[in-house]
Amino acid sequence: MEMNEAAFEEAVRRHIKFSLGKAYDDATIRDFYWAVSLAAMDLMVEGMLETRLRHRNADVKRLYYLSAEFLMGRALNNNLCNLGLYEVFQNSIRKMGLDPDGIESCEFDAALGNGGLGRLAACFLDSLATLNMPGYGYGINYQYGLFRQEIVDGYQKEKPDTWLAYGTPWELGRYGKACPVPIYGHVENHAGKDGADNPMWFGWQLIIGVPYDMPIVGYGGETVNYLRLFSARASREFDMKIFNDGDYFRAVEQKISSETISKVLYPSDSKAEGRELRLIQEYFLVSCAIRDIVRRYEMGHNSFELFPEKVAIQLNDTHPALAVAELMRVLVDEESLPWERSWEITTATMAYTNHTLLPEALEKWPVGLLERVLPRHLQIIYEINRRFLDRVATLYPGDIDRLRRTSIIEEGDDKQIRMAHLATIGSHSINGVSALHSELVKTMLFPDFFQMWPQRFNNKTNGITPRRWLLLVNPGLSELVTEYIGDEWVKDIDRLREIEPLSTDASFRERFLAVKRANKERLVELIKEEVGTTINPDSLFDVQAKRIHEYKRQLLKVLHIIHEYLRLVEDQKVPTVPRTYIFAGKAAPGYWAAKMIIKLICNVAEVINEDPRAKGLMKVAFIPDYRVSLAELIIPATDLSEQISTAGMEASGTGNMKFALNGALTIGTLDGANIEIREEVGQENIFIFGLRNEEVEALRASNSYNPREIYQSNPDVKRILDAINSDVFSIDEPGLFRWVFHNLLDCNDRYFHLADFVSYLSAQQSASETFLNKDEWARKAILNVARMGRFSSDRTIREYAKDIWGIKPLQ
Amino acid sequence: MELSVREVGGVAVVKVPGHSLEASNVDEFKQDMIPVLDKYSSVVLDVQGLEFVDSSGLGAFLSCLRHLNSSGGDMKITGMQKPVRALFELVRMHRICDVFDNVDEAIRAFKK
Repeated sequence: MEMNEAAFEEAVRRHIKFSLGKAYDDATIRDFYWAVSLAAMDLMVEGMLETRLRHRNADVKRLYYLSAEFLMGRALNNNLCNLGLYEVFQNSIRKMGLDPDGIESCEFDAALGNGGLGRLAACFLDSLATLNMPGYGYGINYQYGLFRQEIVDGYQKEKPDTWLAYGTPWELGRYGKACPVPIYGHVENHAGKDGADNPMWFGWQLIIGVPYDMPIVGYGGETVNYLRLFSARASREFDMKIFNDGDYFRAVEQKISSETISKVLYPSDSKAEGRELRLIQEYFLVSCAIRDIVRRYEMGHNSFELFPEKVAIQLNDTHPALAVAELMRVLVDEESLPWERSWEITTATMAYTNHTLLPEALEKWPVGLLERVLPRHLQIIYEINRRFLDRVATLYPGDIDRLRRTSIIEEGDDKQIRMAHLATIGSHSINGVSALHSELVKTMLFPDFFQMWPQRFNNKTNGITPRRWLLLVNPGLSELVTEYIGDEWVKDIDRLREIEPLSTDASFRERFLAVKRANKERLVELIKEEVGTTINPDSLFDVQAKRIHEYKRQLLKVLHIIHEYLRLVEDQKVPTVPRTYIFAGKAAPGYWAAKMIIKLICNVAEVINEDPRAKGLMKVAFIPDYRVSLAELIIPATDLSEQISTAGMEASGTGNMKFALNGALTIGTLDGANIEIREEVGQENIFIFGLRNEEVEALRASNSYNPREIYQSNPDVKRILDAINSDVFSIDEPGLFRWVFHNLLDCNDRYFHLADFVSYLSAQQSASETFLNKDEWARKAILNVARMGRFSSDRTIREYAKDIWGIKPLQ
Repeated sequence: MELSVREVGGVAVVKVPGHSLEASNVDEFKQDMIPVLDKYSSVVLDVQGLEFVDSSGLGAFLSCLRHLNSSGGDMKITGMQKPVRALFELVRMHRICDVFDNVDEAIRAFKK
């Protein structure tokens, strides 16, 4: 979109005066942030209206991406960049005597997500808009995003993330499109006029979902879609009757409780969450989304015959799985369609992405809870299940155990609704998010469903948007690449292949390393500021930045660090290269072990960083409050990217792609998308180690894994674990880390840390030796950048659009 | 609650006053409907002014309808605003109670 510096400055001045009501000379830096954002919003809103008209006139098929999480990060730079105004912004702001960085840093991250799943949703929105596809996000407008992490004495402390404390310039309230959402109540059966049963849902409380639209501008600004986020409001301001009786507090009580629904994003993997509120949140999203989608469809159509041809709904994991029951309820109850036709429409519309194989992360809801909160939906789910099980019984006569395995209802003392089964049975497509994961979905998670409907199962390997994750976060590298091959790569990332021959060009390598060095210096400053640790920018930056979880094995990384440290101080073996070990990530507040891993990292960091023998050779830093804007600084500065989950446990990973795209080499297991990254970059340009999935499975099946045997036979392992057990890293709190020793040796090391340890050390040694040879390291890193084309979310979205959604670009 | 009741050819046309029918005024509505239901077997409920009806309000409509049905009578509803209609359909009331755009149509339906 066109706008020169003078027009931009004029727009900023206008917004300071008329939108913020301030004199130009009185404007603060935050006012400038708002005014700049609103100037960008002017263009985006214009684009959004044009796009909407285009979509409406062509009666296009639209994709609705339902997700409980959208980890958007900061919007300003991304929007300016996609609008083509980034340089205009920088120049005009400097002319106004201000620092663009200062303005950018006024923005809080929109942290409406926990990790990969939410960030994937954000990348998908960018790609949908860039590819000119009619696709919209639907989510919850959480008032508080994922908690802000502080580290106090090595312990994680959770603080509220008040991202909306000053409001946000990026949302447009759509008060006229509010949706009523009923919860609770009971179902009464009355005969309808035709004499048939007519179950009627009464006694509900009503919540109102108010949509807020966040425009999503694609690169080039041609298409502007939106992310529609719903805020919960009470259906009435407050109960006038109680108010008139003089009890003001009780009168507003229900209003406050209704609005709690969109207050807080639940950290995943937390056991401490309020289950009922979480269920209501999920229904709130689904109910608002379906009502909004049906409303839009009905604006242009008189019957539901064309619904699946005009609407595609993607369920991002099981959180929105109730959409299956809700669409059925709307079609059967409200639109009076026959059950069979409603089911055809529903299954032809819905598609489900599975994001995890971890049994504890597969959502289930107690039947009793669902009956209380959503009594009509429970009836519908029972009916879906009854009809489904009839079909199973017909296809597999006498196979009673199959009925038990596939049923949506898990029998037992406390009957549960299996949301993954509901999503699978109600969708025409079920996909995993990497080749390995999709295979495991078919063979391990849903083998019975796969046998019934093999055609429904497919793979869509995750991707990342190259706009944010290269162009924006790594201007040095972007400019270098563009200088050599032009800027077509921004929209067609496969063009990065053209830098492959430059991996042997000495001057390109030198400049590539200079960019990396500058990025590292930027991170050095940040670490000094945030953590107080001084880092050597020439050391190897060995980074593990992601959610803290046992399966991601931050503990394996710690074992390696302790090993290197003990070798140094006890064996006087100097590390091959000086290394800085950098961690970042949040642990779910209720996940004790994950929080203790953070404490262990911090304690190990304290011991090593203060030991003069390690000076210049080893440093450890835990950077608090990992979020998108912090990732944007860490990733471009990384040399070695740690992707070391137990094989078979990481669905895909997208961090692995972001690091590699920014010229980090990966050290990783054959898990998730690492396998495909290896295929692309070549096995000589990645450090692979550890058990494969099938080996892990074999060990589990034969129960032959014996970590204590490894402890007893491997003196390195013994020394590391004994050090942890003997309070070397917990002098002030004796016994603090004995659970690590106990978990690994007495609880059979569920995540196979010790099984992979020796192989991990060997891969680390290879990495160190490679790093010694700067040219060789740079060559491999350049090849990683060049070969990341497959991992663009543009490719992923094209595949979804073609294979699942049936949507097409519209320019 | 000041219900306005008029008779058109044996059909009682009841205009529901106010902007909402909910827990705070539903008892009053039910109370005021009793004489109407006792006197007439055909009732048209004009809810044009209502912007909001909660679950208890819809429950009150249902109990009026049942009362009439039990003695062979019937009730039609007219003038529903969009948000009220959405909630009406949510509980499947439209499956047991006829809805019309205006009072005349509703009265005519009784004559058929």
